[in-house]
Amino acid sequence: MAENIDRAEAGRALEEIEVRRRQIVAEIDVPAWYWWGLAAGWVGLGLVTVAGIPWLSVVATVGFGAVHSAVATRVIDGRHRSPQLSVRADVVSRHVRALIIGFLIALVAVTVGIALLADGLGAPQPVLIASIAVAIAVILGGPRLMAFVRRRAERSEGM
Amino acid sequence: MRSKAAPTPEPRFDELIHPSTRLSIVALLSSADWIDFAFVRDRLGLSDSALSKQFATLEEAKYIAVERVVSNGRRRVRVRLTESGRSAFEGHVAALRAVVATAESISATL
Repeated sequence: MAENIDRAEAGRALEEIEVRRRQIVAEIDVPAWYWWGLAAGWVGLGLVTVAGIPWLSVVATVGFGAVHSAVATRVIDGRHRSPQLSVRADVVSRHVRALIIGFLIALVAVTVGIALLADGLGAPQPVLIASIAVAIAVILGGPRLMAFVRRRAERSEGM
Repeated sequence: MRSKAAPTPEPRFDELIHPSTRLSIVALLSSADWIDFAFVRDRLGLSDSALSKQFATLEEAKYIAVERVVSNGRRRVRVRLTESGRSAFEGHVAALRAVVATAESISATL
């Protein structure tokens, strides 16, 4: 039968397959609530720090880390944004978890940097200013990071 | 992104998969572990009955498995490609590529 189809028909079929693959790639993402929760947690940690109670800061930081670890292991692979499907692991970059973790580590560094800068400038509540700034970066930057992951998956060879 | 160690599938044209609707369904399923019935229906713009008919054909050939699950208190129908379905799809894609490659090599020699 293969010899009975011409190049044009085979080409159209391959294009259709690629269109459908891209529809699945478009589903690669982490749930929006993850970024909002992360941002809220960041601001929450900033508020706790402002309260100036050392033991509370420790408990809040450890608690935030524990909750994040429990949640992140299930969502940051980018394969389960929608309850309607599970994207195959080989369609998503193997590095997506490392990318998100790297993003978070960078944000910790940025938080410290902004806090020190704000403190140096004599701003009131430098830690809170830094945590709010980084929370905004999480909400804006997280989806952009995943868009980058999708673009890479789109460009990767299909089958 | 596929594993570099994945073997190249043998080209094998599959008449069951080739019709456009079934090709679209299998192509969607090939990139997912499983997909909800409604997702496939919405992406392909098919009615429930038309999609069920195509699923029945593919299930009869053992190319797909249809599972009924309860998720978040709702009954859902999930569909996944079986190993034999994936193998048939990969062979079909290889056959399509072979057709294109052969046509290109012929036109290059003319």
